[in-house]
Formats: sequence, C-alpha cells, structure tokens
Amino acid sequence: MSANYKLTELMVVRCAKEIADGEVVFAGVGLPLVVVGFAMVTHAPNMILFTEGGSIRATAPPGLAITVDDPALFANGDATFGMLATMAALQRGEVDVAFIGGAQIDKYGNINSTGVGDWSKPDSFTYFAGSGGANDMATSGKRVLAIMPQDPKKFVEKVDYLTTPGYLDGPGSREKLGMIGGGPSCVVSTMGVYRFDENKEMMLVEYFPGQSVEKVKANCSFDLKVAPDVKETVPPTEDELVILRNIDPTGFYLG
Amino acid sequence: MAVSDKRMTLKEAVSKFINDGDTVYYGGFQIHVPMALTHEIIRQKKKNLHIINASTDVGGLDLLVAAGCVSEMHLAWAMNWYVKAPYAIRRAFQSGELQRFDLSNFGATSALIAGFLGIPFIPVRGNIGTDILKYNQHDAKVIDDPFTGAKITVVRAWRADVAIIHAQRVDTLGNVVTWGTRGVTDEFGTMGTKRGVIVTAEEVVEPELVRSDPDRTLVPYFKTLAVVHCPWGAHPSACRGYYGLDIRFCQYQGKYERNKDLLPHFMNEWIYGCEDHAAYINKYIQKFGQEGLDRLKPVLGFKPKMDIDYGYHDPGVWKGVPQYTDEHIKA
Repeated sequence: MSANYKLTELMVVRCAKEIADGEVVFAGVGLPLVVVGFAMVTHAPNMILFTEGGSIRATAPPGLAITVDDPALFANGDATFGMLATMAALQRGEVDVAFIGGAQIDKYGNINSTGVGDWSKPDSFTYFAGSGGANDMATSGKRVLAIMPQDPKKFVEKVDYLTTPGYLDGPGSREKLGMIGGGPSCVVSTMGVYRFDENKEMMLVEYFPGQSVEKVKANCSFDLKVAPDVKETVPPTEDELVILRNIDPTGFYLG
Repeated sequence: MAVSDKRMTLKEAVSKFINDGDTVYYGGFQIHVPMALTHEIIRQKKKNLHIINASTDVGGLDLLVAAGCVSEMHLAWAMNWYVKAPYAIRRAFQSGELQRFDLSNFGATSALIAGFLGIPFIPVRGNIGTDILKYNQHDAKVIDDPFTGAKITVVRAWRADVAIIHAQRVDTLGNVVTWGTRGVTDEFGTMGTKRGVIVTAEEVVEPELVRSDPDRTLVPYFKTLAVVHCPWGAHPSACRGYYGLDIRFCQYQGKYERNKDLLPHFMNEWIYGCEDHAAYINKYIQKFGQEGLDRLKPVLGFKPKMDIDYGYHDPGVWKGVPQYTDEHIKA
C-alpha cells in the first residue's frame, strides 16, 4: 500500500538517496537543508554537513535549520567557523556533494539563480537573489546535486543568466577553465530525476508516480533525452515520512 | 586607536561615523543582521552608500534600498528569504537607481579577505565561465596563473570606509564578542575597514570580562568607532543565544516590500515613526504583543561542558636553573 505524501516529501526522500554514507555534503539554503537532515538520521549517519554560514557537523542539528547560518546548525556542532573555512574546503577539493537549488536550468546543467530577462537591459531584468554560494559549490564540489521545481520556464534551452556552471557548452568546457569539480551528476525536480549522459546532457532516468515521460517532456523547453531504462520513482515509505515530518514539523519547507 | 569609552547612542553613532557616499560593510548574513543600524541610517536619510557584503537576508538591504540610501551593491545574494524575493532591490535595479555588482559568495568573501589582508586582489576558484564575470569586470577578472599558466579568477580587494555589525556583547572600549557564530564574513569585513566599525550589541560589558575570555573577540577595540547598547538590535534576524529569527515579522515586512505603494506605510510606522530601536520594539509589543517577542526565546541548555583555564607560564621559574646537559654534550 502506498503512503500518503506531498510532492516535496517525495522529492526530499528521493534526493536524500543520492547522498552516500560518509560523504562530505555542502548544502545550500532551502530544501537541501531538509534533505541532509533526513539523510543524517537515516541511511547516512556518518555524513558530514558543511554550510556557507560556516557550520561543520557530523551529527544532525537538534532542530530544523531554516538558514545556512541558523543557530541550530551550531548547537552541538563540531566547529563554528565562518564562510572562509567551509568554502576553503571546497576549493581544496574536499567536498563530495555540492547540493544546490536554482531558478532555471539548461540541458548542460547550467543554473540561473540571479534573475530572468536581459541583465544588460536592467528594466527588463527581474532580480532573484544572486549566486550566494551556488557558483562556488558547483565549481569545486566533486559532484553537484540540484533540486528545483519543474516547469517549461525553468527547464530551458538557455538560461537567461548563467550564475552557476554546469557543463557550460558541453564536454571539456569545465576542464578548459581549470574547474576542479566534476560538475552536475543528478537533478531532482518536482516531476522526476535526471542524470547526465556522455555528451554532458541532461537525461530523464525516473519519473515520479503519477507522471509519465510525456508529461515531463511537456514541462521541459529543451529536447529532453530519456534513458532507455527510465522507470517510475519508488515513493517514500510510511517510516520515512514519519522521520521526515519530525524534521520539519511545521512544514516550513515541506509545505 | 586611543583606548577610550566608545559608548554612544544609535543616533550619534550613525550621524558621526557614516557619511553620504561611504562604502559600508553590511554585517551578518541570516543572523546578526544590523537592523537597528539599518533603520537609523534610513531615518538619517544617508545617500549614495555603496554596500559590500557576501550575502544578506531578512530584507534589511531591501529597506535601505527602498529608502533611497544605496546607489551600489557589491555582493553575492540579497533577499528577504521569507517572501523569497528582494522586491525593492529589484525595482531599483530596473529603474537604474541601483547598480549591482555580483560575485559568488566566496568571490565576495575573498574580496573582503583581500581587504583584510591589505593586498590589492586575490585569486579565487569559481565565477569563471559564467555571466558573473561577464557583467562584473569591475570586481573580477580572469588571469593566467603566473606560476602554472592556468586560468584563474581574481577579485579586487573590498575595503569599506565603515562597517556596521550587530553582536551579542561588546565592552565599553569596543572589543566585540560573539559566540556560536563568527558572523559569517564579519571578521574580514570589519577588520578590512579604512575607518572602523560601528557595533550594536545586546549587552555592553566591562573590558575585564572580555579579557578573561579573549578567544571570543571578533573585533578588537582598536578597529571600533562606536559602541551602541541595543537590545533586539538584529530583529527580525536572530541573535545567537538571545532570540531566534522572527519568521512571521519577516513575512509581514515582505508583504510591504513587495508593493511599492504599501511600503511607505511600513517605513512610516516602523522606521520614521520610531525615535530609536527601543521605540520600534515597543511598537512591536503594542501591535503583536509580548507573546510575539516571547516566541523568539531560544532553546537554551547548550552551555560548554569543557571547563578551561587560560593560565600562562611564568618564565621566571628558569631563574637560577642550570643548563641541562649530559655526557654527549661538551661543556
């Protein structure tokens, strides 16, 4: 019997499975903080959490961290640093998973979190927030995990502003610029899960229960590649949902 | 650099130490945002400020921009996260009143570190290959590493004229004390200033207390210009150990930020209509009740379990002690 769950809950539980036990995960603000909290109390008890706010901890925070310098991240943490220490670890190549969100993504996994419109014509440009640490994380993390809502305005042929590098123009682009990180490995949207093929292009590998390859394609503005063995995502179990809802009891991020 | 009592009012600190056209380091990130100072700068109608910072939340900068105090922002991320947008910043950018110079978070942090180090620029991974570099050549460029020839981004040093920060405690001389956070980039943004730091704090203490535990000093007195006792000075952002983030107030403020015709009501009621920060907090209690503030009380019980002693060693014990020797050493 399948459990009753919200879409965000499905996303979080599915996304958490991309994190292996023992990995160093650098998590951005928003759903990534919920995902890592869930991973740490389920299958990844030896995961190490880094944030831009300077938190380094090997145990789950005592309460939901709303932000990346949330006091909960530093309560019984392993170290209270600032931005310098955790970002320096990224630059040294010590971060396994860079975990980010974004507003637009293209087929090469390039992400826009700065705004939509034409930046060089300011009156046409709608600012979001800017890079924050996403650019640094995606440049130097060994692999990038991204979580973002899916619709045709967000999964686009070309991002309006390239804030955060995916594979840029395709194979070899990152290497040419000396980026030490491996680039995007997985994207979890509100409709499915993607990986990247040998041409560094996004490829649908799973669609969520209730979705289909056709529905996902209809919500993607570029010509989406589909894995030959594409399958339906396994929904969260009752036990997983109980643990997850305990992390965000007011539904601040889970809705 | 004189050792002197630097206590003054919020009003005095801003009028004395912030000039129109100054470059201002804006402290905190998602906690310790200098909101009382933000409001006072707005009340004093400072103009043409250039803000430098890595990232900032809770809409403090949005209000500062809405009030027409800011002409340039050099940073990585700014919004009111609780309404998921920087509405006034967006409008000011579209109208051309505000210029933005974006970097990544560590690009911005590195620029502040270069300022802290007193060097002109510093290499940083990241930013390369993106529109950040395309549109912000003022602060970032790609050069060839002089040693290996590889491409690397460099960012210009950022040095503010003055920094504004909030902290848990400060002593009367200006030694700023934090714990449970380093203010994210405050250690660099403050020390790199040309003139110094204005600090608001929950408590002002005697210097002997700070000197008994100097590991927690974020800014030593010689960089501090003004010490302002200001309880709730970071509200609606959090102050570690004193109060948590006021999510409901951030959302309330955000509804005003979103609509430029509504925003003046917020400004009049909560900023221009309040003589100082105590009046702002009184207004809060009047409008949302003491229970609104009470909800922000932190979960306590996280006191350090390590008992330490900063004892030092007295080299006087060596007086009269003969040189150690043995049979291998010739006299």
